[in-house]
Amino acid sequence: MLIRKRSTIAVLMVLALSLMICSSAFAADKVIKIGALFPLTGPAAVSGQNCVNSVLAAADVINKANPDINAPLAAKEGLLNGYKIEIVKADHQGKPDVAKSEAERLYNQEKVFAVIGSYNSSATKPASAVAERAKKIFMCGCSSSAALTERDYKYFFRHAPTDAIESKEFVEYIEYLNKEKKAGIKTLGLIYENTEFGKHAAEEAHKAAKHSGLKVVADVPFNNGATNLNSEVQTLKAANPDAVFGAALGGDYSLWVRTMKQVNWLPKIAINYCTGYQNPAVQKELAGDGDYFMGGMGYSPELAKTFMPEAIKIEKKYYTPRSNQPFDSDSIQEGVMLFVLAQAIEKAGSLDTEKVAQILRTEEFPSVMSLSGKVKFEPGGQNVHALSVITQIKDLDYKTVFPLKYQKAEPVFPMTPWDKR
Amino acid sequence: MFKNKADKLWYGFIAVAFILPFVPGVIGGSFFGHVATMILLYAAMAQSWNIISGYCGQTSFGHSVFFGIGAYGAALAVVNFNSLPWYGAPLGMLAAAAVSVVISYPCFKLKGHYFAIATFAIVEIFNRLFMIWDTIGGALGLDYPILPDGWKNFSWSDTKNGYYLGALAIFILVFSVVRWIERHRMGYYLRAVREGQETAESLGVNSAVVKLSAMALSASLAALCGAFFAQYNYRVDPPMVMSLDMSMKFVLITILGGIGTFWGPFLGALVLIPLQEYTRAYLSHLGAGVDLMIFGLIIIIVMIKQPLGIMGLIRYFTKRKVAKGEGDA
Repeated sequence: MLIRKRSTIAVLMVLALSLMICSSAFAADKVIKIGALFPLTGPAAVSGQNCVNSVLAAADVINKANPDINAPLAAKEGLLNGYKIEIVKADHQGKPDVAKSEAERLYNQEKVFAVIGSYNSSATKPASAVAERAKKIFMCGCSSSAALTERDYKYFFRHAPTDAIESKEFVEYIEYLNKEKKAGIKTLGLIYENTEFGKHAAEEAHKAAKHSGLKVVADVPFNNGATNLNSEVQTLKAANPDAVFGAALGGDYSLWVRTMKQVNWLPKIAINYCTGYQNPAVQKELAGDGDYFMGGMGYSPELAKTFMPEAIKIEKKYYTPRSNQPFDSDSIQEGVMLFVLAQAIEKAGSLDTEKVAQILRTEEFPSVMSLSGKVKFEPGGQNVHALSVITQIKDLDYKTVFPLKYQKAEPVFPMTPWDKR
Repeated sequence: MFKNKADKLWYGFIAVAFILPFVPGVIGGSFFGHVATMILLYAAMAQSWNIISGYCGQTSFGHSVFFGIGAYGAALAVVNFNSLPWYGAPLGMLAAAAVSVVISYPCFKLKGHYFAIATFAIVEIFNRLFMIWDTIGGALGLDYPILPDGWKNFSWSDTKNGYYLGALAIFILVFSVVRWIERHRMGYYLRAVREGQETAESLGVNSAVVKLSAMALSASLAALCGAFFAQYNYRVDPPMVMSLDMSMKFVLITILGGIGTFWGPFLGALVLIPLQEYTRAYLSHLGAGVDLMIFGLIIIIVMIKQPLGIMGLIRYFTKRKVAKGEGDA
């Protein structure tokens, strides 16, 4: 009896071992592993999950035959004559040290070809430093700190417009409002999370404001994950700037808007960087309190109808079933980076990192999920075609108000006061 | 050669730990290498806290401040002064010791829980101060440039062997200091103050000097660990190193392992760090923080079943074995 039991265990172990060997062999043969490193827990978890879902949606478009989608690599199954993309998810919890160790694990243990990530600029920095040291590719979708592409890295590529680009655009918009609409905006207030992202955004806002003669009358940093922003908003209210630029992610954005309502104050216009403003889930949670705020965006369902019809198909087929909401301006850019990487691999014809990186550095890629329709990286890794428009939200609908080429609605300004909503 | 069983265990452990990176495939660039390095680092951090809080009985929740000062010492030397971390680390240790004395002198006048509460506040003060101090990077922190690999820059790209040996050296230093304290007059003074400050003073112990010396020593060793942490992560910013979250790691590891014991901090790190790293690495893809839930659950179970930590558990089983042996006889 005992001998029979032992033999059964031995047979099962041998079977399990052979299965493992076979599956790893298959994996080695026909799979390209790509790491997706995002904050899956912590304060930015919702946005991180959306980013992962976007990457998974892009992988589905590449891996399956999608003749209905007019995008590179969509029509046939896989790439490089039969290779499939496998996404390996990893969580950095919004912490730079965890991002660094997870990037190392992805490259060294999981043997991923490249990593896509990492939402928080402060996490993207050390994670991409791991890639650069190991001469591995790091694709960054939406981290917006300008410092990321000022490091002269050779293996780092970023899709999103930087805070510098957005700050310039915000100021241009104010100049347009002053000139064409007699808005009389002369003073500016800044409220931002005291992190890599927020601090950089504020620095760029100062530079852009100085250039156009706007006077910064309030500079208010706050600690991200705050439970109370009362004193920060009171500081803004006391300075009473005509316009406010905000850089608050996820829950912090909701808290900021709600505190403005609590203290019954609004500037003439409030424009947001890549923040909670762009997240439809956050806007839904605000239940109308977020109306009339504005923000820079690279995607909205309304914009997509005219400029990115294929993105809507991808969204409906592969993204919304996972996320229960449309793409947002941040998450879509992570999917774009997988498309760009896959095109570079296909063009290289092999999984030679140097060859693929060289193609990424030199070639221009069509991109159905980018507002500009194309992606090209300059030295340092910044996408030269990075584009964002300014939208204003009303009833969960993001309407494009600037630049005029993309305008879908006249801006509502000054913002409708709280007691008249 | 070895005076007793404790010596054998200590030197045996060092020998085995030292050999590991020379065994092919064990440390290298592996994830296990990262986990092993973190176990040694966090054990040394917890042991540095154990000096003031375990042996001397002054519960500090402010050790991330000293850890952070050490981290900034090394990072400033490399990033701002284009120098070597080898100069920054000792300066950070000295600065941490000095800061610890300055802030502890008034705080030690507080007794019991009030001292612990004061140390909580100190973390927040230093966190905010470093967040707005632009000369040292402020909220942006300090990012290391890419430097050539090797001991000179204490930086390696494709292997963890150097980091592992560095962490082992720090581990040996901190644990050796505690071994020395345990056997030295200082150790008796510390334990006397912990058991009853007034009684100790009536026997001629200068409790103020004893507590300040222990705090300075504890802070400087925590700072050394911080310098390593900055080198290991190529970056330092205030939330990374000077936070209540980081302070709690000092406390949690020691309490789980066994506060006021020599091996407690190591055992705490040996359980907590792999649990934290492996659950995150292999369960985080499930989303919704499953790894954190499992991590928290295990800590709760251990603390309910054995509040004296793993050392308490070991002692319990050792006593039972001895009692059983005597019963059998």
